[in-house]
Amino acid sequence: MKKKLISMMLTAAMVASLCACGGTPDADNGQSAGGDSSADSEAQSSGGQEAQAPEGATSIEVWTNDRHDLEYVESMIDQYNQSNSDGIFINLTVITEDYQNMLALAYNGGTAPDVVTANSLPLNTFADTGILVPLNEYIDADETFQKVNEPYEHAYEGLNLRNGNIYGVYTGMRSGVRVEYNKDVVEAAGYQEIPTKLEDYIDMAKTITEQNGGSCYGIGFTSSSPFERLLEMSAQVSGIFYYDYVNGRYDFSGYKEILELGQRFISEDIAYPDQQAVDNMRALFAEGQFALWSNASQEASVFTDQIPVNGFEWGVAPVPSITGEIKGALQTTPSKSWGIVSSSENKEQAWKVIQYFQSEEFVKGYLENGYCLPISTYMDGVIDKSKIGRLADFSMLEYESVYPQPPVINLTGDDYRVVLWNAVMDYVDIDDAIEDLNTRYNEALDADVASGATKRLVISDYDPLHPNDGTMTYLEE
Amino acid sequence: MQKTNKERKKISRDDLVAGLMLTPAIVFLIVCSIYPFIWIFRYICYDYNGFTATFTGTRNITRMLGDKTFWNSVGHTFEYAAYKLIFIIPLSLLMAVLLNMRMRGASLFRGMYFMPTIISTSISGMIFAFIFATQNGIANSILQGMGIIDSPIKWLMSRDWVMVTVTIMAIWGGLGNYMLYFTTGMNGLSEDVYESAKIDGANGVQTFFRITLPMLAPVLKVVLMLAITSAFKDYEAIMVLSKGGPGNRSMVMFLYIYNLIFGSTDSTSQAQIGYGALLSIMAALIVGTVTIIYNIVAKKLDDVV
Repeated sequence: MKKKLISMMLTAAMVASLCACGGTPDADNGQSAGGDSSADSEAQSSGGQEAQAPEGATSIEVWTNDRHDLEYVESMIDQYNQSNSDGIFINLTVITEDYQNMLALAYNGGTAPDVVTANSLPLNTFADTGILVPLNEYIDADETFQKVNEPYEHAYEGLNLRNGNIYGVYTGMRSGVRVEYNKDVVEAAGYQEIPTKLEDYIDMAKTITEQNGGSCYGIGFTSSSPFERLLEMSAQVSGIFYYDYVNGRYDFSGYKEILELGQRFISEDIAYPDQQAVDNMRALFAEGQFALWSNASQEASVFTDQIPVNGFEWGVAPVPSITGEIKGALQTTPSKSWGIVSSSENKEQAWKVIQYFQSEEFVKGYLENGYCLPISTYMDGVIDKSKIGRLADFSMLEYESVYPQPPVINLTGDDYRVVLWNAVMDYVDIDDAIEDLNTRYNEALDADVASGATKRLVISDYDPLHPNDGTMTYLEE
Repeated sequence: MQKTNKERKKISRDDLVAGLMLTPAIVFLIVCSIYPFIWIFRYICYDYNGFTATFTGTRNITRMLGDKTFWNSVGHTFEYAAYKLIFIIPLSLLMAVLLNMRMRGASLFRGMYFMPTIISTSISGMIFAFIFATQNGIANSILQGMGIIDSPIKWLMSRDWVMVTVTIMAIWGGLGNYMLYFTTGMNGLSEDVYESAKIDGANGVQTFFRITLPMLAPVLKVVLMLAITSAFKDYEAIMVLSKGGPGNRSMVMFLYIYNLIFGSTDSTSQAQIGYGALLSIMAALIVGTVTIIYNIVAKKLDDVV
């Protein structure tokens, strides 16, 4: 009898423990309204403390995947929570790992937040599935918001705009790729400025490598998407892009010349012998191990705070093109937009929170802290540029723009950046690589268009210098 | 007759208790193991990016048959597994035998050799990236210092060397684990046999080949099977160390599948869970087939011996 009783108790305990693993939405709400437990622990681990909304206030749950600007954003939210007269309490949760999946899971589980950082959320998933709501009505009703953020001037097809609907308004911009260089070494090699022609640029790198006999190389490449960080951008400003917008096809044929030139970095032993992770290569650049590095405006804070360059003066220059002329736009990345999740029961209050996040006061401080470059001409005129430090060197060039998002496809095999870099490294023949990419990308595009998984984007009046200005059409065949 | 019914009743009550006791484990098994397994099969005919699923019929199967990157990665997986097994099993057995000789400090050495097993593979991958750097790497410095090489070896940048590098790392990471299996197996061997051999005048080599190895055969069989399956599934360290490069030379099948299923932020493609699910089934079939072949061969050898 005693044995049976113990058995029953053990069974009950195990079943109870199993049930406890599940938890209820109410229990979750007790900890953080709308947030899931793993997200809460993430927020707490980031240093943020779980704040409680005052009685009667509407708690607006905000999720972000940005950590670098947390100090500023949290201080502004504290200020808002203490002073706003709308009875709104913002509860911020930071999720830096697996943000998209966490958000999708929360949405499907009914615990999604009200407002989310939206610039990293692909529209083909988050907008087409109805997770994000269009903001057009809110924007149209708010002239101040329009003045500060210029939402319609900075709406980019496939990025924050789809079928005329805007799902998030950008407040900032990360510059396109620039060349960051060791001024001392470059000048010692007899160059006063960075050549605008790619061949001359390679010659300069070669001179540096030869002059320094292994103690300092001309250029360094990272193992993380190396093609994207110089040669692809040189191709862009030379008017070469991987998607033929006029015909709605992928076309890699234009890359041949740039790949042949790029091969010189390797075949002539010009580049630093290793291609390591980005931070390792940044550290090597800061140590003077190579003279030319290329990356976007995030390097301003990296080389002043994270991995400071102390031993030499470093400069910033535009990436070279094949002929020295600019024939195409340089890709930039708009940043920091906010969206409203369709499951929110407090959409009006959620929009008020976005209004605050994108108010002149909030954005001015954000930009002056050097977190990104201004995207609107209004804010560009408002901020004190003397406060943004080396970020000023990465100011927007007149030929920088945002390319419309080419169709997202289900590709078999390697991505074009991997294959084209393999061609630069001479692991594959250039012609074979181009033929392989043209075949695989267009096969996948045709199949996905046929199955309805994607649509073919066509811009009949496409202008490589102003890629976002043409008339965009989505074809279903 | 009445008694038998009572017994039956008692048995059924016991069954109920046992059933209740097993319920949590069964629920966990269904939720965490059986359901995901069925779920994988559900999506093999879909393009699924985690949000929307589009039925594509047999297209994923056609894609798989023509996917050169995948089939090359299968070849690399066999190559990597072969290199790893050829070195790690004899080495770990040797280490186990040496450290089982009751020498001084054996426990300390055993602990040291086992230590890599408890280090995260991603951390060890990063450390090995520094060790095997062409410029300023410790491995090249030592080899050049000893006069073995004249110019630095491009351990991670050369298609000829990268497999050597990932194999060295795999051996370093797994040696202690297999050594421990063998040590445990040897602890179960009777001392009497060794004493008899000693009395009969057997030397160390004879003792090893005539006594230790045959008596360890059952353990060796299990260890080999574990080693084969784990070698075919290795990808974490390679992902950190070489990202499957250069030029896909160290791309193993589970790394390719991982890249497909989780997608990449700097890619024009998207997460391909449906296609990745199909490839993971094919990979499981490959590993399963190899294991079955090994078991048949091992059984045949048993019969012969």
